[in-house]
Amino acid sequence: MTVLGPGANAPLTLNDLTVLIRHGTIPGADIDVSAFLVAASGKVRSDADMCFYGQPSVAGGTVALSGSGNGEARFAVGLGRVPAGVEKVVFTATIHENRASFSRVPEITLDAGGIRGAIPCAGMTETALILAELYQRNGAWKFRVVGQGFNGGLAALAKHLGVEIAEPAPPAPTPPPVPASTPAPPPISAPASTPTPTPNPSPTPNPSPVPPPSTTPVNLSKVSLTKQNNTVSLTKEDGRFGKIQVNLNWNQSQTQKKAGFFSRGSVAIDLDLGAFVETRDGKRHVVQALGSGFGDFQQAPFVRLLGDDRTGSTSDGEWLEINGDRWADIKRVLVYAFIYEGVPNWKETDGVVRVLVPGQPEVEIRMNEFEQDGSMCAVVGVDNHNGQVRVSRQVTFHSGHKALDKQYDWGFRWTAGRK
Amino acid sequence: MAISLSKGGNVSLSKEAPGLTSILVGLGWDPRVTDGIDFDLDASVFICGENGKVRSDEDFIFYRNLSGLGGAVEHLGDNRTGEGEGDDEQVKIDLSKIPADVKKLVFVVTIHEAEKQSQNFGQVSNAFMRILNQDGGAVLAQYDLSEDYSTETAMIFGEIYRHNEEWKMKAIGAGFAGGLGPLATAHGVNVG
Repeated sequence: MTVLGPGANAPLTLNDLTVLIRHGTIPGADIDVSAFLVAASGKVRSDADMCFYGQPSVAGGTVALSGSGNGEARFAVGLGRVPAGVEKVVFTATIHENRASFSRVPEITLDAGGIRGAIPCAGMTETALILAELYQRNGAWKFRVVGQGFNGGLAALAKHLGVEIAEPAPPAPTPPPVPASTPAPPPISAPASTPTPTPNPSPTPNPSPVPPPSTTPVNLSKVSLTKQNNTVSLTKEDGRFGKIQVNLNWNQSQTQKKAGFFSRGSVAIDLDLGAFVETRDGKRHVVQALGSGFGDFQQAPFVRLLGDDRTGSTSDGEWLEINGDRWADIKRVLVYAFIYEGVPNWKETDGVVRVLVPGQPEVEIRMNEFEQDGSMCAVVGVDNHNGQVRVSRQVTFHSGHKALDKQYDWGFRWTAGRK
Repeated sequence: MAISLSKGGNVSLSKEAPGLTSILVGLGWDPRVTDGIDFDLDASVFICGENGKVRSDEDFIFYRNLSGLGGAVEHLGDNRTGEGEGDDEQVKIDLSKIPADVKKLVFVVTIHEAEKQSQNFGQVSNAFMRILNQDGGAVLAQYDLSEDYSTETAMIFGEIYRHNEEWKMKAIGAGFAGGLGPLATAHGVNVG
């Protein structure tokens, strides 16, 4: 089967297709893949036409980011349901904060309903790429590999596609204004059946009775907690934060390569996510797969661990959920990662923990102090600080649960366990 | 009203504009909007006799030989006339001065150093060829090549040919492997 190179196109035969983009990983730099619904002008009709991690489903689910992580992203596209006025679906990749150029990956491969493409990336100076597009020609949909982009990263790409991007905001203690009448936005993992409404924060009266379609720039900001900049506080007027999600992801590819597809032997690194939780009543809980303490979302500890992935089949790591609507009942949460089996080689795992609070900037903590020993890493504290969600970077390494407990003064009694 | 041609189609320019003597052939494409090396596209013309080949090397009109047939064919290079807004390259042709043994003029566009830059026509947007009446500037025919190309680095856009007593335009939209050199050789030019 032929593989399309940049500039080449082919007709699509399927109406409902999966577009799989394999971009690989760059240590220390995140690659974000997005899709844009573009009109004949080459621009989006509004910011609601941008499908990305902060808005994973657009145009009533016509294009949805159905999964991403571990160097790939997957979109579900229903070509038969593309709204009138949309001529193209443009797929892009950007490197977060322009931390590297695409020359750092050997190539990006694409698969659109069985039509394959490849973009060689050697020598590329671009930090934002238009990977490919689905477009209409004589009433039929086609797929074209593009492989062109911008050295100026997301900002230049967004301008090209007519999307207004919010300036990357420094972690601010004051949240963006939220209209009191607007209900809490849905958690971002939930597939929205309609485009997420963008509230207009402008308090100035609008002379026109019809407000412009969108005046709020898409908020792409991520907050990276570093050693220097290690705390961010998130505020919500009603004190209900929705479903707070904590994701641990790490680089499994190198270890899998060594271990082979079927043998997840001692070479493979299995990272486990867990948390110490203290509820308002002073009770302390351990939420982790080891000892089957998966927690509970609706009742204490209001924190639960989603199924442990030991098969490698899910690519987006492990998830912990904190019931932010019961935030008043939670005093403090300490999220940790530990290596259950395998050598504690934190450098190879390249772990990242993300804290996702609905409607708030994504908070990211990279476990990048790899000179450390110890199978246990306290990653992030999520504390109730006068009703605020205070997220503080820890990234301290310990020999085990006991040592971690002692260091952070929790006072559990420990016995050996197995999962 | 301009005739819009699709690949393989033709139109009689003489019928579109009775008494037509002089035309302007405009070739255009969208400039690159992304970062990277610009697409350097060159338009060339092969003035061909009965056998579909140039009568002599002088009949190969390109960036180093901008004038042919004693001035009846004039390659204007970049569009500097203000006429035919949007054209990237233009060729002025006085049909009334074309000798009887010339049967057709073939218009080709090639990407300069395409292989070296890993560039191809599939990366160039909205390429077109169109014919304007020099007298009044009306567009007589237009051919939009989008989608008639993919990874080609040299394209035959179209030709203007003599059919009985009429001048016609044909939309070709065919790719050609190897670039300008092989294309010239194929049209009978001795490429040194």
